[in-house]
Amino acid sequence: MAKVLLELKDATIKFGGVTALNNVNLKVHEGEILALIGPNGAGKTTVFNVITGVYQLTSGDIIFDEKSIKGIKRYNITKIGIARTFQNIRLFGDMTALENVITGTDVHKKSGLLGGLFGLPRARREENAGRQKAREILEFIGIDEYSDRLARNLPYGVQRRLEIARAMGTGPRLILLDEPAAGFNPAEKVELAKTIKKIRDAGYTVLLIEHDMSLIMGISDRVAVLDFGQKIADAVPSVIQNDPRVIEAYLGVPADAS
Amino acid sequence: MTMINLKESFKESNFRDVGAHIWEHASAVERKIMAVSFIGLAALLPFMGFGLLDTPVSDYGAVLVYPVGMFILMALGLNIVVGKSGLLDLGYVAFFAIGAYTMAILGTRTSLNTWEIMPIGIALAMLAGLILGLPALRLRGDYLAIVTLGFGEIVRISALNTREIGGPNGIANIPVPPSIGPLEFSLNDQKGFFWVVLLMILLTIWMIRRLSVRRAGRAWEAIRQDEDVAELMGVNTLKYKLWSFSLGAAVGGAAGVLYGSKTLFIAPEMFTLNVSILILACVVFGGMGNIWGVMVGAAILAYLPERIRFISDARLLVFGLALVITMNFRPDGILPRKKREKVIVKKEKNNG
Repeated sequence: MAKVLLELKDATIKFGGVTALNNVNLKVHEGEILALIGPNGAGKTTVFNVITGVYQLTSGDIIFDEKSIKGIKRYNITKIGIARTFQNIRLFGDMTALENVITGTDVHKKSGLLGGLFGLPRARREENAGRQKAREILEFIGIDEYSDRLARNLPYGVQRRLEIARAMGTGPRLILLDEPAAGFNPAEKVELAKTIKKIRDAGYTVLLIEHDMSLIMGISDRVAVLDFGQKIADAVPSVIQNDPRVIEAYLGVPADAS
Repeated sequence: MTMINLKESFKESNFRDVGAHIWEHASAVERKIMAVSFIGLAALLPFMGFGLLDTPVSDYGAVLVYPVGMFILMALGLNIVVGKSGLLDLGYVAFFAIGAYTMAILGTRTSLNTWEIMPIGIALAMLAGLILGLPALRLRGDYLAIVTLGFGEIVRISALNTREIGGPNGIANIPVPPSIGPLEFSLNDQKGFFWVVLLMILLTIWMIRRLSVRRAGRAWEAIRQDEDVAELMGVNTLKYKLWSFSLGAAVGGAAGVLYGSKTLFIAPEMFTLNVSILILACVVFGGMGNIWGVMVGAAILAYLPERIRFISDARLLVFGLALVITMNFRPDGILPRKKREKVIVKKEKNNG
């Protein structure tokens, strides 16, 4: 088994009287696609928010690459190698697609404001390298023809893909995708599935929230199921499909299935 | 050398895009010619005080320096904060006041001259920006606006109540700058002051243009559009907001030093909330986030009341009316923020 890249240990988070996550244990192995599924309100996006420091755990711990990242500053999350997309698209609309991705690449730059102002050699080098990398990523994701268009004017599907590209710009080891296929038609879903596989094959680890079962079953190496803030299953897709608890909580009783 | 196709350029929907179109289709040489002639024209402004441009009641040469030049300079400075980073600052006058008071105090009590006081004034304004920004920039939107508004008032009221710096009487007999070569600075002929303001404006434009296409500019842009996402994409938001604040403050401080050295006399009542609001109006009126828009806006808002001063009492009414009408027709300002996309797409077509 590959090394564990990210681990949630007894992760619990309470908002007042509501327990959004209840002793969740989750391991993400390096190089896999792990899908996180569950009914609405099960706590999937909360898991993402906990990992990226948006929410702080009430108890428990988060280990990334053998170090605890609990309480880390939000802007340092991308620096250590975790990047995410958003369920409701949140691109920088007034920037071009390319600039969105370059903003991602800025994370690892060492030169600051003064270096940029006076055009110091390192700043220039980093600027060019970032631009180059951003172009490569847009090409990798397959939206390079939109490079110079403003993000807010892009077609919906391209915006979703650009979210992924921007996350990749930060050079992450782990990418968190929050419902990347939401609103996609079947053809677009097939296309997206290929892209996600391609991302994994390029050496990234992917943690994916998704509702589309055929997409998940097609690409995931493993599936974890959340229900009411608790993990109720965690296995390979074929096992999940036949787990009675999962079927009850999420897939519906067999009589309802198509 | 490619010919600039003016007809093609004017097909663009607004003046901002016309300008961008002309610029982006110009060769390096053409750009240099345009920039030099533009700067040259601006430098010659003090000699154009006749006919339409003249201000019948006020001294034209003085109007060019203050309010016109100074307003443009301060609007550019405030634009870094409000237009680029989206931080609503209603206390910008504080930095102007700090610059002016630095000049007044050091100018009357030490042997330092204006040029030596300039870096001190800028540094003190930046420091004030940091001191205010560190706690205030944790707030957002309206709350930030209220705190900055308070800061502006604190600075003014502190000056009003500190007897050591003149209290309500202010400070008089502030020295004018020493001459640079043959260029002399006097109140009767303010060309020297104007050229210095022009130089400061050019430096500020250079700084903004440079930073806009670099990491800092992207960070500000990201913060303006979605601060939470900016942070999750690795932007140290507090750091870049502080930079934005203190660079804006630096420009305000520089303007203040020169203003102090030009007016001979300053008093707390010159640095009221009205000034902050007027400068903000320049930014919004001209087009937030766009250098050219901000400059045009500031030039109009500073110049117009002086130009129509002959109708005396009615002039503020006319001025206000013009403002309301303009904002109705152009809610994003006279020259709104770049619409870069259009320009670039067209360019590709032409190349292809």
